[in-house]
Amino acid sequence: MAATKPNQGGASSVQVTDQKRDDEWSGLLVRVGRDRDRQAFERLFGHFAPLIRGFQFSRGGQSSAPEAADELVQEVMFRVWTKAPTYRPEKAAASTWVFTIMRNCRIDALRKSSRQPATDESLNVEDIWDDSQDEQPLVFLQQTRNQHAIAAGLESLPPEQSHVIEKAYVEGKSHSEISEELGLPLGTVKSRVRLALKKLQSTISR
Amino acid sequence: MIHHHPDNNLLLEYASGSLNWAHSLVVAAHIQLCPQCAAQLKLLNGVGGNLLASATPTPSLVCEEGDVFSKLMQRIDQQPETADTRCPDSDRGTRPVRDPIFASVPPVVRKLLADNPVLQWRRLSKGLKEARLKTGQSEREVSFHRIAPGSKVAEHDHRGREITMVLYGSFSDADGVYTPGDFLVREPGEVHRPTATQDQECLCLSVVEAPVALTGLIGKIVNPFLSIKPQ
Repeated sequence: MAATKPNQGGASSVQVTDQKRDDEWSGLLVRVGRDRDRQAFERLFGHFAPLIRGFQFSRGGQSSAPEAADELVQEVMFRVWTKAPTYRPEKAAASTWVFTIMRNCRIDALRKSSRQPATDESLNVEDIWDDSQDEQPLVFLQQTRNQHAIAAGLESLPPEQSHVIEKAYVEGKSHSEISEELGLPLGTVKSRVRLALKKLQSTISR
Repeated sequence: MIHHHPDNNLLLEYASGSLNWAHSLVVAAHIQLCPQCAAQLKLLNGVGGNLLASATPTPSLVCEEGDVFSKLMQRIDQQPETADTRCPDSDRGTRPVRDPIFASVPPVVRKLLADNPVLQWRRLSKGLKEARLKTGQSEREVSFHRIAPGSKVAEHDHRGREITMVLYGSFSDADGVYTPGDFLVREPGEVHRPTATQDQECLCLSVVEAPVALTGLIGKIVNPFLSIKPQ
């Protein structure tokens, strides 16, 4: 772990503060998993619940019923509590880990609403979207550094590229749905995503 | 060595949760065998994490945050303390599969097999057998294909996108050789004629969007049987 620079103001200090904060959430998650620490969980809740709501509210065209948002927050944080023992801070930043749980909740909700009565339960969402069996050696450098590189990379994307990335993640839209909505050819959406990812990858490996 | 991967666009749809269930299943199977794509997925999940971290916080409008939290804690207290520490191999997924062709399939495929204890193999053509799988989704058909050693699959065209992943053995077509882990996307209109290698049988997992159309005489015989029947 690199030595933390003293807070001197300016751009670099913002990064240092962010990094500290990231480590704080990861540390709290570890405590929740290991010690079933309710105070730590309450602080995580205080941080993530408004973010989950914010993420959900910014979904265009989605019903932003506050009741639904409360339900989502409850469901996500319930799973955070239950799954916390499997959290490994060296593998994922806390926000990334919570994001994947939120994504799975959304997939589950979508499945439940569209499932035909006759279909069986079969595989569940975590059989398909599950990284708990990922025991690969770390290909990347320290994850908090990556997290900052990704953040910086996202900020430096041209607006038309970050727009499609946000639509994909925040609104949960497939490329073809984005292409329809924006009136852009599918190929254009795909190439914007490709360019954006190329740029993000180059920021990471720098 | 895996040479054919899902492209970044497909991986992003998978990571953001917008990719349909059946396609996600094959992507997951590939990722479980492919360190390169697993690393890429980490980046893509990280993008989601960053977007969450930078969302504009919205406080609850219905009730106070504290109410939501205390409701949540009530729910947690009612729940018996069974932390989700399950090991991916600890439950039904470990049921031994007798057929050696399934011995080293990725965990998600093992689970799929556990949900489909009796595979019904149907002969599609000489040297090609298919077993359709129940996956709890309705628009696409998920199935295993096994090609006998050295056998040529009848030349076929696709009316919808077909995603195939090799699980065991290998096959080749005009474009190359495909070995376990290789991930192939065939768009409608691409005609190809896979041939399994001589030395062993080949097992593939595939997801088809529309009926596969076989060309030629065999196609005329087989096509009527190939209508999609998602299970």
